[in-house]
Amino acid sequence: MHGRGGQGAVTASRIIATAAYEEGTYSQAIPMYGTERRGAPLTAFVRLDDVRVRERELVHTPDISIVLDPLIAKQQAVVDNLKPGGLVILNTAHKPEEVELGGDFKVATIDATTIALETLGRPITNTAILGAFAKITGLLKLESIEKAILKYFPGRLGEMNIAAVRRSYEEASDPIQAVVTKAPAEKVDIHVGGYGVLKDVSSWRLLTPEIDVDTCIGCKNCWIFCPETAIEWDEDTMKPSIRYNACKGCGLCANECPVDAIEMVRVEA
Amino acid sequence: MVGNKAAATACKLARVQVASAFPITPQTTITQYLSEMYARGEWDFDFVNVEGELTSQVVVQGASRVGARTFTCTSGPGLLYMHHPMQVTGSGRLPVIMAVVHRGYKGMQPDHSDLMSQQWTGWGHQYVEHAQEILDSLLMAYKVAEDPRVRIPIAVGYDGYVLSYTAEPVEIPDQAVVDEWLPPNKPMPSILPDEVDPSTFGRGWGGGDPQMPWKTHHDAIMGMEDVQKEIMDSFEKTFGRRYGNGMIEEYRMDEADVAIIAMGTIAGTCKAAVDKMQADGKKVGLIKLRSYIPFPNKDFQEWAKKVDGFAVVDRSICPGKGGPVYMKLRDALYDQEEKTATLQFHAGLGGKEVRVHDFKMVGDKILKAAKGEKVEKITWV
Repeated sequence: MHGRGGQGAVTASRIIATAAYEEGTYSQAIPMYGTERRGAPLTAFVRLDDVRVRERELVHTPDISIVLDPLIAKQQAVVDNLKPGGLVILNTAHKPEEVELGGDFKVATIDATTIALETLGRPITNTAILGAFAKITGLLKLESIEKAILKYFPGRLGEMNIAAVRRSYEEASDPIQAVVTKAPAEKVDIHVGGYGVLKDVSSWRLLTPEIDVDTCIGCKNCWIFCPETAIEWDEDTMKPSIRYNACKGCGLCANECPVDAIEMVRVEA
Repeated sequence: MVGNKAAATACKLARVQVASAFPITPQTTITQYLSEMYARGEWDFDFVNVEGELTSQVVVQGASRVGARTFTCTSGPGLLYMHHPMQVTGSGRLPVIMAVVHRGYKGMQPDHSDLMSQQWTGWGHQYVEHAQEILDSLLMAYKVAEDPRVRIPIAVGYDGYVLSYTAEPVEIPDQAVVDEWLPPNKPMPSILPDEVDPSTFGRGWGGGDPQMPWKTHHDAIMGMEDVQKEIMDSFEKTFGRRYGNGMIEEYRMDEADVAIIAMGTIAGTCKAAVDKMQADGKKVGLIKLRSYIPFPNKDFQEWAKKVDGFAVVDRSICPGKGGPVYMKLRDALYDQEEKTATLQFHAGLGGKEVRVHDFKMVGDKILKAAKGEKVEKITWV
């Protein structure tokens, strides 16, 4: 399961494992952790088995790959290690026929970002992809996933997430055999690590901040709060500008701006 | 539930009276779970927030001195910061229980170097494999540590991330059954022969012989072996689960010619590898080491008579010396009449992933060595 810090891949893996447990199957949800950082690509794994899972290595050749992020969904790395004939479920607005990833696997798509934005109000796509997972794989019942969700999100938050799961269940369509049969020669490292000041993290960005300098009152809040030091300050004009290579699109600047001079604009995947 | 939640749940089941901890990755969520349990009033205990690990150790130390059942937890550098008060907890024969969520100190990923660095503090050291074993081992640790024959603090170590944050099924025993099996801690102010002056808190006794406190401490830990085995039996009788004899847990050793020795989560991966190797007709088994201090000398001496080789997979190294389990095993086997082949493997250091195929390689090498073929003695996996 591929996602970004803050999208809930680890929680999604735990919901699958818990739902499997509800159905009497042994399960293990094992995350790959590094330094916690919102927006950083990360991977979490789930094993389902009829017997207690013994091994504690990460999953290197999965049967199913689930991609929570529409930008990571464009990277060949998410299918490279799939078992032949495996399945990839991508969060993307594109149809399965339009997917450019190549190899011997089945592909299904779901626009989980739109579902998440419309049901939760945030692009947290972890639950919005689980309905599709349940319908397409048939491995888990929708009720078990809903039961597991309530364990992790009690109350209203749980209800909202269940709404996301149900909608994703309804919108999911059957997977097709990948149209592209060969993986492209050129590959990108999926785990763009390091810190923003050193590396280009623009590929992490789903929402892009845009500054309206006429509304800006020069309070410097955005400059102070940016966790990636992506905001440059012009001492002469007393106005900010954004170094987009270093911006991961977290939206803190827009949140902190007292005059709403920064707008987060969705970049189409 | 994840490993850290299993640890917090064990505290609740054991009805810990005083818990104190300072958050550090990958232990942090234990302190979060305990705080939530405290906020919800799940049971009657004090949760003391502190400004660092040195203090958390001192808080549980003080509480333990007046008879409370106590819990603390930490990881890697936090454990090193506890080093000084840990000595006092050990010397005071205080049955404090601590979860050590392994984090190496050349980075954040897990290896066993943190707990291994505390060998001289006079605690019992255990290493466990999965979330169920965390819960069960913490319950057993209280029963062992508070036994009047022991009165020694115990650290239960388990790997960060791959266990602390990994969700898997855990059976939670019934509270009433735990209450009956693990009655409240009884304060034992007279455990130290402190006839000089009780207000010295265990200093200055020994009848003029300054070595006496060391000997008493050492003898008490050596005596833990029998108690641990006994309590493992009693745990199985009550809860229906067991982990070997408490000191070691054998896995498919009945038909094995050679044994791999491993601790912690990689022992689980080794079990999967042993299944595959035995399916291929290779007679390799696993002896999972649970108790590093005290070390199961007798068990290994007995196994040495039955197998032709031991492959020790150490997940920590003392630079300039070597793998601690390997050194201790060789020490245990020195007086055996017949020599058993031993090989040293360094694996999983700095959190390097140890995979099923790595253990297959370990198995192949020790099978060769057991047949007398020449194999390199030390391998970096």
